[in-house]
Amino acid sequence: MWSFIVRRILIMIPMMFFVSVICFVVTELQPGDFLSQYLENPRISPEQIESLRRELALDKPAYQRYFMWIKNIVTKGDFGYSFSYQRPVIELIWERLGWTVAISVLTIGFQWLFATLMGIYSALHPYTLIDYTLTVLGFVGLSIPEFFLALVLVYLVLRVGGTAVGGLFSPQFIGAPMSWAKFVDLLKHLWLPIVVVGVSGLAGLMRIMRSNMLDVLGSPFVTALKARGLDEKTVRKHVIKNALNPLVSIAGMELPNVFSGTIIASIVLNLPTIGPFFYNALLNHDQYLVMAFLLFIALITQIGNLLADIALALLDPRIRIS
Amino acid sequence: MKKLFLVILAVLACIVLATEYAVEDELLTPDFSPKIGGTLRLVLASTPESYLLYGTLDSSSYSVIMGPMFSTLVEMHPVTNEIRPALAKSWTVSPDGKEVTFKLREAYWSDGTPITADDVVFTFQYFVMNQYARGNSIARFTIPDEQGVNRMIEWVKVDDKTVKAILPSPYGAFFTVLSHVYIYPKHKLEPLIDKNDLGSVNKIWLSNTDPKEIVVNGPFKPVQLITDQKLVLERNPYFWKVDRFGNKLPYFDRVEYLIIRDAEMRTAKFMAGEIDFMAIASRDYPMLKEQELTGKTPYVVYATQPNQPTPSPIHISFNFDVDDPDLRGLFTRLEFREAMEYALNRQRIIDEVFAGLAIPDAGLILPSNKAFYNPKVEQLLRPYDLKKANELLDKLGLTKRDKEGYRLFPNGKRVEFNLLVQNSPKEYQDVALIFVEDLKKLGIKVNLQILDSSLVGEMFGAGNFQAGIRAFGNQPDLQLRKAIWQPGTQLYYWHYSTMDKTKTPPQPVFENMFDWEKRIWELFEKAQIEMDPSKRKAYYDEVQELYHIYLPVIFVCKGMNIWGFNKTLGNAGLTDDGMLRFTVWTSYRK
Repeated sequence: MWSFIVRRILIMIPMMFFVSVICFVVTELQPGDFLSQYLENPRISPEQIESLRRELALDKPAYQRYFMWIKNIVTKGDFGYSFSYQRPVIELIWERLGWTVAISVLTIGFQWLFATLMGIYSALHPYTLIDYTLTVLGFVGLSIPEFFLALVLVYLVLRVGGTAVGGLFSPQFIGAPMSWAKFVDLLKHLWLPIVVVGVSGLAGLMRIMRSNMLDVLGSPFVTALKARGLDEKTVRKHVIKNALNPLVSIAGMELPNVFSGTIIASIVLNLPTIGPFFYNALLNHDQYLVMAFLLFIALITQIGNLLADIALALLDPRIRIS
Repeated sequence: MKKLFLVILAVLACIVLATEYAVEDELLTPDFSPKIGGTLRLVLASTPESYLLYGTLDSSSYSVIMGPMFSTLVEMHPVTNEIRPALAKSWTVSPDGKEVTFKLREAYWSDGTPITADDVVFTFQYFVMNQYARGNSIARFTIPDEQGVNRMIEWVKVDDKTVKAILPSPYGAFFTVLSHVYIYPKHKLEPLIDKNDLGSVNKIWLSNTDPKEIVVNGPFKPVQLITDQKLVLERNPYFWKVDRFGNKLPYFDRVEYLIIRDAEMRTAKFMAGEIDFMAIASRDYPMLKEQELTGKTPYVVYATQPNQPTPSPIHISFNFDVDDPDLRGLFTRLEFREAMEYALNRQRIIDEVFAGLAIPDAGLILPSNKAFYNPKVEQLLRPYDLKKANELLDKLGLTKRDKEGYRLFPNGKRVEFNLLVQNSPKEYQDVALIFVEDLKKLGIKVNLQILDSSLVGEMFGAGNFQAGIRAFGNQPDLQLRKAIWQPGTQLYYWHYSTMDKTKTPPQPVFENMFDWEKRIWELFEKAQIEMDPSKRKAYYDEVQELYHIYLPVIFVCKGMNIWGFNKTLGNAGLTDDGMLRFTVWTSYRK
């Protein structure tokens, strides 16, 4: 087991290298650079732009900048400076990571809990009215763009007289010390992003869970269990455990999805997560910030996959590492 | 302990009494019974990147620094644009116009330290005239001396409360450019600067600085910044302004900026009454006004005469240096550009693209700018008239047409060009579509080239276009837009052959200029060294007329400014002239 984990971690290193090359090439292909936004600003003279170009090393050829960047990461753990904030990108990402992780984790929890429950229920009562209703609801959630769902929900909340829309707190609680009232205020705001982001993934997961369940329900070992006279509850326990397997293996993929999937919803709902920040960096050609974030997503994907594999091994005794 | 407290209190009282207060005028404080206290709620589109104006190029930082947190030596009146005393209580100009001596007000930083001539000299030395500072203003404080050699304006401390500026030659826009120089505290910032690396100024007072470290001379000082959520400012007890009834300004105890990236969400929060004052997008105006008229909203919205540098008036340009010789011959003919202006349906654009919220007579200077606007340009605008346009094109010899009805050059080539437009803001494309439609009626084929804005910027910058739609901001003083409108400068992009880019700094090339371009160039140079406001106005009047007669570019229109106010806000709204009345230090909660 341990040698497997170590091997997987070692494989990550060349993977990350390839990812970094691809990210760099892609950001380079974007027309213009960080300074193009200032070219027509008469406040900023052409000499100033030239000196900024030198300061930011944008006058150097791309490959040279890439190796400089990689060298700093490997030797100093320095992922570069943000052009606009003039601060280390890690620091800037770190500042915004807390809420991003919190919302992501809560959203994943919401998604998985509801998706599995809905999937199990649907599979146990296939082709009934409730099965169809759940499926339709799931797919409606899947097909509505997140930002639109967010706007509709915001509208509905305002319509019924609510004011807790946008952001995570009401203005008076932002920056206030934690208190019961602040916590309640957070809950009033938090459900909206969780539902908006969570609903989109619901249908897919639910359908996977449902078909897994149906597969397992029809498999010979269930018939065997039933033939041996085990009661319904015990059989169901085994069925669910088996049906969860494929779901666990895709769980690893879900983590980065939630990180990057929240971007538009976060902009619309004004969440202090990394999404809108990243989006802005992308528009401004804040290259190192963009690349550090992309690397981060790639890393999360790989770690997620690794964790999923480990979880699978623990859950399913048939899987052994050889 | 109690004794110490009393001593501190006494010292504080002395300082406060010693302050030479400036009295805010009636235009900004019309109400007789303002209330003191409470919180003003404003909005920002992103977290400010820095508290140091000269180390950043970020517009959110500008919004909180310029006015709410820092003051200048002289300031522009927020309504009338007149220059008035600020940290400098008075000044004298020497008879030759080359020495300006400022007497500083008895005023204090927010930590109680006196504001002195050292702070002024320091601000110029390390920030304004520091070529490594990102937001420096060297270009604005460098002017040619009598021999035509560019030299910097020098700043000399005379005594603690007197500072002198030595100019290489008289400089007409001196006070205008000075009104953008915010003074920073030497005693707090000097220790943070690495004197061997002047680029280090860009790294001080960034967004990760503890707000309590920030010392200000404006009405408010920062106390708390929560990344991407909120910035809180608190009253600066040492602020040096009082209202005309003797109350200390600002009226509000606190300013809270909500940080909201999404425009729709900003509007929603404003509608919910959570934001007291903000700029409104013109597309939201009809909806907000309709709601307002029901009488149930917590807000009012006003469309005002544009008096802000942004949004920029849109203009159409034709590249005088375009590669295609037929097009070049055409674009450089005045009759062609006149025909193009006759073909421009301004009224339709204002109605359809701007929902009626724009003014047609937007040129180099806005009508609201009483100091410099030349109303004669209104008569010079050529009204929409396709018949006249057709006649002019016929006169140019473009009489033959092909089977599809397009005009042909004498050599048989179709009259056809590309119009370069950036994809955002959307108004640009809408203007282009209307213009192209009318040109088709004239028998001219236009291919729209709609591209990403940064790419478009680069193409314009390289002179790589045939015709284009673009916009540049207005400024209260044309001197500040010299880099755009004077031939031979880096933003005179429709005629780059008037500039020799190989020289540093780039030099004008007179032999490539038309006579009227030479005249414009000359007028800018004359106005720059003229200190007499009425003579400066005469020069700029002529520039405005030349622009509308010879049409280097064709101005389309300028969107009005739309502002939303919470109804509970006092001393805020419109003046009798329809100008915006709002400042963070004079508004209050009714």
